[in-house]
Amino acid sequence: MTYHIDGSRNSCALHGALQLIEAIEGAVPVIHSNTGCGMQHYLGVNRLGPGTDSSGGPPVSSSNIGEKHIVFGGSSRLREQLKNTIKVVEGELYFIVSGCSTEMVGDDIPAMAKEGLEQRFPIVYANTPGFRGAVHQGYELAVRALIEQLPALSGGRQKPTDNLVNIWGIIPRQDPFWAGNLEEIGRLLEGIGLSPNLLIGYGQGPDNWRYVPEAVLNISVSVWGEAPARLLEERYGTPSVLLDGLPVGSAAGRLLNAVSDRLGLDTDRTERFVAAEETRLGRQLAGFADIYYRAGFQREFALVAESAQVVGIGEFLGRTLGLLPRTLIITDNPPEESMGAIRERLSGLVDGWKAEVFFSEDHAEIQDIVFSGGAEVVLGSALEAKVADSLGVPFLPVSFPLADRVVIHRGYAGYRGATALLEDIGSAMLSRSFT
Amino acid sequence: MILLKKRAPRIREKRIDTLNAWIGPADSAVREFAGQEVVQRIRTFSQSSNDDLLHALNILCRIEKSATVIHSPRGCAVAALYHKVAQGRGNWIVTNLDQKDTIMGADRKLRKAVTTAYRTYDPEVIFILSSPVAAINNDDIQAVVDELREELELPVIPVFVTGFASRNALTGYDIALHSIFRQLAGGRESGGRNGRVNLFSVAEHRSDLQEVTRLLTALGLELNVLPDNASIWTFVEATEARFSISLNHDADNYLGTVLREEYDVPYLEIERPLGLEATGRWLLDVGKAAGVGQAAAELHRQESVRVRRELGDFTLSGIRVYLSLSPSTALQVAKLVEESGGEIAGITVPHLDVLHIAQLKLLASRHPLLQVHIADGQPFEELNILRRFAPDLYIGDGAHTGQVARLGFPVVSLEQTRILAYNGTLNLVQRISVALKNRSFGERLASVTLPYKESWLQRSPNWHIKKEVK
Repeated sequence: MTYHIDGSRNSCALHGALQLIEAIEGAVPVIHSNTGCGMQHYLGVNRLGPGTDSSGGPPVSSSNIGEKHIVFGGSSRLREQLKNTIKVVEGELYFIVSGCSTEMVGDDIPAMAKEGLEQRFPIVYANTPGFRGAVHQGYELAVRALIEQLPALSGGRQKPTDNLVNIWGIIPRQDPFWAGNLEEIGRLLEGIGLSPNLLIGYGQGPDNWRYVPEAVLNISVSVWGEAPARLLEERYGTPSVLLDGLPVGSAAGRLLNAVSDRLGLDTDRTERFVAAEETRLGRQLAGFADIYYRAGFQREFALVAESAQVVGIGEFLGRTLGLLPRTLIITDNPPEESMGAIRERLSGLVDGWKAEVFFSEDHAEIQDIVFSGGAEVVLGSALEAKVADSLGVPFLPVSFPLADRVVIHRGYAGYRGATALLEDIGSAMLSRSFT
Repeated sequence: MILLKKRAPRIREKRIDTLNAWIGPADSAVREFAGQEVVQRIRTFSQSSNDDLLHALNILCRIEKSATVIHSPRGCAVAALYHKVAQGRGNWIVTNLDQKDTIMGADRKLRKAVTTAYRTYDPEVIFILSSPVAAINNDDIQAVVDELREELELPVIPVFVTGFASRNALTGYDIALHSIFRQLAGGRESGGRNGRVNLFSVAEHRSDLQEVTRLLTALGLELNVLPDNASIWTFVEATEARFSISLNHDADNYLGTVLREEYDVPYLEIERPLGLEATGRWLLDVGKAAGVGQAAAELHRQESVRVRRELGDFTLSGIRVYLSLSPSTALQVAKLVEESGGEIAGITVPHLDVLHIAQLKLLASRHPLLQVHIADGQPFEELNILRRFAPDLYIGDGAHTGQVARLGFPVVSLEQTRILAYNGTLNLVQRISVALKNRSFGERLASVTLPYKESWLQRSPNWHIKKEVK
């Protein structure tokens, strides 16, 4: 049973799948649905996380079914579209995703994919009607499709890479800083001698997905990476490290140590690497201290974002930067079994202080909660700009959707991300006359 | 009430012979419309573009003191998220239909969403926007409307878009406007005239609307602007206005037609005021209709002097320009380009229909062989054409300008640019000048690969356009 949502920031399963596919270089989404589905995605997802557009326009292939297909079925239209997509659009992998209408009229998407495969075209598919869930479920469905269907496609596994680690749980655009966050996590893993398999973003293509079974470890940095990690554990026996949120600042050091232990890496090397990162961050914080005290940075904050961001950013602000979490709102509907742990972890973020933790994706409700809770600085999506304004406090846009912020390479994960966050929240506090 | 009898208007393909896919020279385009019935074309390969739901939403979110309930799964509402976040418009709730709802129906959920919208926003009107899922499932939206209209004592207006009935997205404007009049205006009881003049502004740029309003107010006209920023009562008043002024007859055609046919409000179907000449004609026509012809002529004279002075020695001499714009904009920008000494390399428009025949004939008489391409979106065809034509400048208003720019030539996007009347013309000219004076960004983009295969770009661009088999 689902409920209506005011000003929803979580789009549908089809869009979640598109978000993943568009972030894989060489993967071409083939939408089997209405004309407007891809355009909705372009306007309501791509344009609200401006700065990392892969094709420079709305989705490049969509069957655009009409009334005739609703009445008589659209499978033959998909066959035609798929065949022509391969002729028109450059790609290494063609990924069929279905929308609500074609699922409701019962088009046989797997059969169409099979037909293409029989002609030796590189095709995978996922049934992703919007009514199946939100972007998060769409991400899971698309990831599962790749894990399950790619091995049959590739004509044998690629040669194994030593110490390969897959990273899961970052949903492109739903985390506006996805590209930067992944690159930083990759940099840190390289620092302790591992080969990160980022899977999405610059230079990440279907081949990276073919290496997935060869990994020595799966790391998930949100609740949404657990399903793929579990699936891989089942299929290939790969161990996993599961986090609730992005490692920001010292949390990244703890992750590196845990991974290092788990894989039996050279502990000296890991410790040296983490120590160097810590020293650098410490120096930066010390250099920033004058402004921090002068401008009164120690404030109560409200944070509205996906669980991974609230955990990661909230922890850094609360445990390193000395801010007090007043209201924490998690907008991505984490699976019920993880909610308790997340709530417990977040409400006790600062010893002796209880943060209010809420789970909501309803814009009207979120505004009410933030407003009635009060805060001295608000971090959230562009939807929260208004309530920050009503409270008369500084605002930093950190979560989806963004309106007046361009994000290309910036990230808030890891050590470099902590520095970026420091810069951004600092600038927000200094802007206008909030000091 | 002949037009407003049904719950949704006839689709544009049937009402005004709208063509959504075609390539050929301008004189053949004229011939396409010469016969009894236009032969529809379809694409065997297509790309995402607009639909009626998106266009209806684009109007509804601009209605003052309104709330919209989008009766659909989550994804059909994200364009509304775009309007809310990027444009600061619209209050909306999505019913968030799930798998079970697609089987069992979701009338109860819809009812709850409407009452929540009522409590949250205290609106003057609530719209219920249908969706592909609601349309296929045949949810009884009307029953919910009838029940809640009484209970809440305010207009609850269902807008029956489908996402698949028409291939022309502008049908969404028609459906939204049709639905509003159908519910609100009622019969012709009042029948009086209120002395105001309707100004049709359908999803126009804020500054464009300001500019046009400035001119009309200067002529002493009392305006009734709709649907942009209109309250629901503006629509009632519109039925009693002296006459209606068109700003873009592609978008406001149905609005003007309903007010003319059903309420006897004359519809001044004039060309879009874009460029000095057309703006002058537009202003003079309005002036004449309002009985202030002389004042209009004087205002045009003053403004022209100013604009000409500011334009200075602007020229497009030697510049070949490709236009990818909505038809009423494209045909005006084409004139502006030619008046400035430039040459039109080719035109892409999202659709053509009987509304454009006169303008199309004029164009064809000047340039019978000019290539006309009809496509809403479909950049795969456009890039194919553009690579052959290699224009010196591209002016477009679609969502794919970022892709076109990878071909390396200067690009001007009119999607969020003011272009109307005197100040709009000055702004457009400034955008063009700047684009031509520094081409470095486009040249840098040219090193980024295109999404398409070379073999496609070598093929005839009309390869995937076929006559529809009925």
